[in-house]
Amino acid sequence: MFPATNLWMVSHLAGMVAHPQSGLIAAITPSGMVRLSPVDLIIIAVYFVLVVFIGFYLKESSNTGEDFFMAGRQMTAWIAGLSFVSANLGSLELMGWAGSAYQYGILATHWYWIGAIPAMLFLGIVMMPFYYISKVNSVPGYLQLRYGPATRALSGITFAVMTILMSGINMYAMALVMKVVLGWDLNFSIWVSAITVAAYVALGGLRSAIYNEVLQFLLIWAGSLLVPILGLIEVGGWRNLEKQIIHNVGQTGYLHMWTTLGHFNTNPMGVNWFGIVFGLGFVVSFGYWTTDFLVVQRVLSADNLRSARMAPILGAAFKMMVPFIVILPGLLALSVLPFKLVAQDIAVQTGQHSFNEVLPLMLVRYCGPGLLGLGVTALIAGFMSGMAGNVSAFSTVWTYDLYGAFMNKKASDEHYVKMGRWCTLIGVLVSIGTAYLVQHAASIMDYVQALFSFFIAPLFGTVLLGMLWRRATAAGGFWGLLSGTLTSFGLWEWVERDPSALRYVALSPDAKAMAQDIFRALWAWVVCVIVTVVVSLLTKPRPVAELEGLVYGVSPIPEEHDDHWYQRPMVWAGVVFAVFVVLNVIFR
Amino acid sequence: MREPISIWCFSGVLLFIYGLLIFASGLWELAHPLLHPPVLHQLHAPIWWGAILTVIGLWYLIEFWPHKRASQPKE
Repeated sequence: MFPATNLWMVSHLAGMVAHPQSGLIAAITPSGMVRLSPVDLIIIAVYFVLVVFIGFYLKESSNTGEDFFMAGRQMTAWIAGLSFVSANLGSLELMGWAGSAYQYGILATHWYWIGAIPAMLFLGIVMMPFYYISKVNSVPGYLQLRYGPATRALSGITFAVMTILMSGINMYAMALVMKVVLGWDLNFSIWVSAITVAAYVALGGLRSAIYNEVLQFLLIWAGSLLVPILGLIEVGGWRNLEKQIIHNVGQTGYLHMWTTLGHFNTNPMGVNWFGIVFGLGFVVSFGYWTTDFLVVQRVLSADNLRSARMAPILGAAFKMMVPFIVILPGLLALSVLPFKLVAQDIAVQTGQHSFNEVLPLMLVRYCGPGLLGLGVTALIAGFMSGMAGNVSAFSTVWTYDLYGAFMNKKASDEHYVKMGRWCTLIGVLVSIGTAYLVQHAASIMDYVQALFSFFIAPLFGTVLLGMLWRRATAAGGFWGLLSGTLTSFGLWEWVERDPSALRYVALSPDAKAMAQDIFRALWAWVVCVIVTVVVSLLTKPRPVAELEGLVYGVSPIPEEHDDHWYQRPMVWAGVVFAVFVVLNVIFR
Repeated sequence: MREPISIWCFSGVLLFIYGLLIFASGLWELAHPLLHPPVLHQLHAPIWWGAILTVIGLWYLIEFWPHKRASQPKE
């Protein structure tokens, strides 16, 4: 669900490529996990042709800044909602969490349900009106209006650097997966994907990126849905699957989401309910889904406030279904695979298959020619839209929040669009550089992963206080954000130098690595909020009149006129939340 | 003048082409069985999955095909 997972997956795959005799690579073909048939290659080629065509087709409607950076604010709730959830549904996300499901059982579902749904609904119901009516082009743009240029600059610079690095890592990850699964050359995959993404984003801007994200969403379902369907047929239904998992792993902990979370050592993941609810479900999830511009940008492209509020709610409904194609294949693998998957380091030494290979393994198990090509195309589409999402968000933040705000404030709209197109190309080139850098220094991925987590949790504290508390001041916002970021960095550095310090960060000697990110985010958020509150109380507040359109309680929210009660966003948010609660009760 | 092509029309094109290719590949497998068939190959998943994708794609194509714009009414 979060970039951290993707990076974890990449670093493990990197190990796999470094030792090509491991796993299926040696077992099935000399160079890759599978050999594609001509029909599979045609399916992949059709996808590439279509996405480039879409870029050229949309170029004519992407000539103004509003068109290029905000897709003309013309997206319907369905398109913005699918794009919102799809921007996060990359291939590494799918493969990484399928592997986690095999490793930790159904606990991995928390990252899709409590780790996403409440935050998405909160964005739609509470936060979106402020983002939307302030007509900002980005999250740093909101920080400018609420806290001033210093906070905008801090947020903009960090975000721009992070997105471009993430894009490069995504590129590298795709090349790795293509090498492991298909035996394709790393350089070929990097350059073909980079040129394709550069073409369609530079031509069509955000609209093009959004169109491709919607296509990717459909492809992922079309390419992955058969695996759980055929898997359930093979094992004889859910009840039989439960019995077989208990028989194979010897414990029931793999099948419960909540009853094993009483303590760190009573579940395979090494986390507890407090960390899951407050760390993951509140800070990490709300930080990512409500303040990461990569996903928020998709919702800002909606054609009116009602669509902007409905988009995250629709996105939440789709997000809730994703475990069916990600977690369930991991659980099915525990039952049907005739061999055990192991951790990557062991796989490298022994030649066994690793957890990370579970989704491709299940795909190969059930899919022959044609269906396999569709599955591989879904993976490629996921990678490319991940890159495109990062590059389009980078282009917007650079052009509006750094170049337009601090370097060239009075340029024409046409000039900013040109800058956006060039930024896209330069962003892709830097991403290629990052991809090669990561290839030769895998430890960089750990730093980027940590850098990303340094920023998101405190940013949520800053934005939340800015929207809900009129007393928050510019100085409070800036120092809160900075201190939260430094706290996160300090905790990370502490555990890096002394791994036993995790017991203090996570408040338990039984905490495992998964708990670290969650608790570090929690501390960073707490420090950000405390510092923001204290500094704000010590500094002079802005006049209330200046906060109109930015803060809850002083902003008249435009009335929405729905013909029927069932058209109200609040009603649908209630429905989605009720389903979320029922699912958690069923799988408790 | 026609309306702009919507994302749903593009989705229809993609699903329709993929559905046909997968369906045809499933029929081909009936006549030429695979040397290493996947698990549950006897269910002929490419045939029914390909048919489902084709129908959905065709439906989207028809529903969202860009129509001619209605001429502007004279003032």
